[in-house]
Amino acid sequence: MFHACLAGCLIFRGGVLEALSDADLVSNHLAAGGSGASIWLQELFRRHYTKVVTWCLRVAGDREEAHDLAQGVFVKAQRHLGAFRGDSKVSTWLYSITRSECLNYLKSRCPLNDALDDDVAEALPDDPESRPERIFELHSSFQAARALLDRELTDTEKRVFILHYGDDVPLLTITRLLGLENPSGAKAYLVSARRKLARALRRWRASERLTA
Amino acid sequence: MAEARSRDRSLLRKALSPSHACATLLELGGLADGSLAQPAAAHLRDHVSSCARCQTELTLLNEFENAAPGPDEEDAVRWISARLERRFSEAGARPSPWRARHGAALPRRSVFTALNLGGFALAAATLAAAVTIGLREGRAPELAQPSLAAPTVLRSAGITTLSPAGELDTAPNELRWAPQTDAASYSVQVMEVDHAELWSAETRDASIVLPPALRARIVPGKPLLWEVVAKDAAGRAVAWSGKQRFRIRT
Repeated sequence: MFHACLAGCLIFRGGVLEALSDADLVSNHLAAGGSGASIWLQELFRRHYTKVVTWCLRVAGDREEAHDLAQGVFVKAQRHLGAFRGDSKVSTWLYSITRSECLNYLKSRCPLNDALDDDVAEALPDDPESRPERIFELHSSFQAARALLDRELTDTEKRVFILHYGDDVPLLTITRLLGLENPSGAKAYLVSARRKLARALRRWRASERLTA
Repeated sequence: MAEARSRDRSLLRKALSPSHACATLLELGGLADGSLAQPAAAHLRDHVSSCARCQTELTLLNEFENAAPGPDEEDAVRWISARLERRFSEAGARPSPWRARHGAALPRRSVFTALNLGGFALAAATLAAAVTIGLREGRAPELAQPSLAAPTVLRSAGITTLSPAGELDTAPNELRWAPQTDAASYSVQVMEVDHAELWSAETRDASIVLPPALRARIVPGKPLLWEVVAKDAAGRAVAWSGKQRFRIRT
């Protein structure tokens, strides 16, 4: 009797749903056929709206586009929930979908047309031989070049460099995603990274000449 | 110039892409929350400590896990979340083909393990069936316009609510609903739109007077929700109203 009353109170307060883990909600949704938006799925999504939406807003920088992006994430999650194997947190699985959708969105927006790239170029000496890209051309392996990058740059410079040049993420988006609060955001870190890599390249060339 | 830049970008993209030794996102997640088993965790930790690519992915994953809107993002996040919630709630209100064939689904095992009801699983099963049916329509409904000619009947998920509903001129004095023949008592709850409870009470009647302290919190323009659950003599939930929405006009 007491337990039945307790359960009744919990149900009334939405406690049953709240007491379930994300993985339990997934199991129950799939056990209910896995189609449509069951109460389990609605509760699961409700728990993750804030982080997915905040992320999409930071990527898109625009409310309407962020809405479409986030909706795409949840539609995809709904469609592929059966593939969730339970060997990670649901939020990590949701992040993998969010990341993929956001990168596709950014690619669809002409990745090389980033006006800030011109600003970055202007802020650097115009010497083709000191371009950091030369590091990857000259080193015998990408691994060695990445080790140099790892050695020379600060953590934030590395993150900005990799996201911008590795994944084509615009600098404004990187500024928002990493929560950079300096006045020029990711651009300052990218300029600084390129300067450091150019210096490292000159040092490396000098040492190569000495060895020769 | 543009060609050289494009070539540079292509080279960098290739050089900075994850290598075969890099961790997958799910592995990084396991490393971050400590769920990745040894010795895989130790091996991966070694790699991540010297891999800027994996460190970047891990940073982003952490940023995502802790993502909370800043002051300039709050309005947009709330607006988008509300639209998404409405979209998926409306999708849930339509019966799926499976539901149409088999009826509402019972939770598989998790409700019982989560509540740790042990030997009372049978009673909980009855209640869980009730919540499955009741909460199926648990979205916050749109504001309804009350008719002047007759008491407003909004919708029913077991209990028909009478008032308050929709746009009001003044704060309501009481909550009213149609009595249930099999109900011995009712639990009522008034809450914020995010479902945070403001007030709750029990009654044997099909109405309940709102206390002055609660009425003082019902201010113009602020939407609130309320709901009622009917219980039988044993205290089991037998019907549920769904969440009803109202607010005072600004």
